[in-house]
Amino acid sequence: MSGIALLVLALATIAMRAAGPAAPTLAARLARRATGLAPALLAALIVTQLVDDDGLPAANEASAGIAVAAVLVVARVPVVLCVAAAALVTGLLRL
Amino acid sequence: MSAPRRGHSLTATVASIAVAAFVFGASFGVLATGEGIPGWQAVAASATVFAGAAQFAALSVQQDGGSSLAVVVTGVLLNLRYLVTGAAVASALPGGLGRRAATAQLVVDESYALGAAAGPPGRPDAGVIVRVGSALWCSWVGGTFAGVLLGDRLGDPGSYGLDAAFPALFIAILWPLVQHRSAAVAAFGGAGVALVLAPFTPAGVPLAAAAVIGLVLSR
Repeated sequence: MSGIALLVLALATIAMRAAGPAAPTLAARLARRATGLAPALLAALIVTQLVDDDGLPAANEASAGIAVAAVLVVARVPVVLCVAAAALVTGLLRL
Repeated sequence: MSAPRRGHSLTATVASIAVAAFVFGASFGVLATGEGIPGWQAVAASATVFAGAAQFAALSVQQDGGSSLAVVVTGVLLNLRYLVTGAAVASALPGGLGRRAATAQLVVDESYALGAAAGPPGRPDAGVIVRVGSALWCSWVGGTFAGVLLGDRLGDPGSYGLDAAFPALFIAILWPLVQHRSAAVAAFGGAGVALVLAPFTPAGVPLAAAAVIGLVLSR
C-alpha cells in the first residue's frame, strides 16, 4: 500500500478517535447509523480470503487453517491461540 | 473478555493482552515487509492507526491487489467504531478538549472494554483506559518494529501460514459481534454480496459492496 494511503488512514483514524470527545452527540448519532458496518465488512474480509484467484471458493491449505481457527473461536479458545493454530495448520500443510 | 476490577487481576489481564499485542504487532511487521512496505511506514502505521483489525484488513486488501483507495476505505470503515467508543468515554476523560482528544487516541477495543468494566455503568474509568491503552500501544508498536526486523530474515510469510492469520483474527473479532441478531444479519449480507461479486470484480469492490449492505442493514 502506498505511503499516501497509510497517511490518509492514519489521519482519518486519529480524527475519528478525537471526534468522540470533541462532538459526543454527533459522533454517537453517526455511530448509531453504522452498527452493521463492522460485522458486514469483517464477514466479507473472511470470505474473500476463502476464494482463489478466480474469485471462486477454494479448498486449499489456508481454508483448512481458517476452518480450524473458526472451530477454536467458537470453542472460546483465546484469540492468540486461534490465530496461531490457523497459521500453524496452514504452514504445516504447505510443507 | 473477563472483566477484573482492580490491582493484580487488572495487571495480569493487561500483561496477557500486551503479550498478544506484541505477537500480532510482530506479524503485522512481518507481513507488511513481505508486501514491500518500508519498515518505518509499518511502524508509523502501528503508532498512529493503532488498530489491529484495520491494519490487517488494509494489508489483506493490498495483498489481493486492491487499489490505494480500497485500502483506505476498508481501514476507515472498520475504524468507524471509534466514533462510538470515543463518544462513550468523552465525559469520563479529564482536562480540556485538546487533552481529551489526545487521551482518546489510547482508546482501542481492549482498553475501552477494561475501562468500561472498571467504572460504574456509563462512566468508564479513564485511569484504566490510559494505563491499558499505553501498555498496548508500547507492545503493539514494539512488536511491529520487531516484526520489521525479523521480516527481512524470515522470507515469504506464506510459507509460515501467516496469510491464514488475517481471516482467523477477523473470525475472532466477528464472533462476539454476531451474538446480536442485527449484526448477524449484516454479517450474512456482507459475506453473501462479497461472495457473489468476488469472481467478477477487482479486489476492494466486494468489500465496498459489503460495507454498503452493512450500512443498509444497520438499525
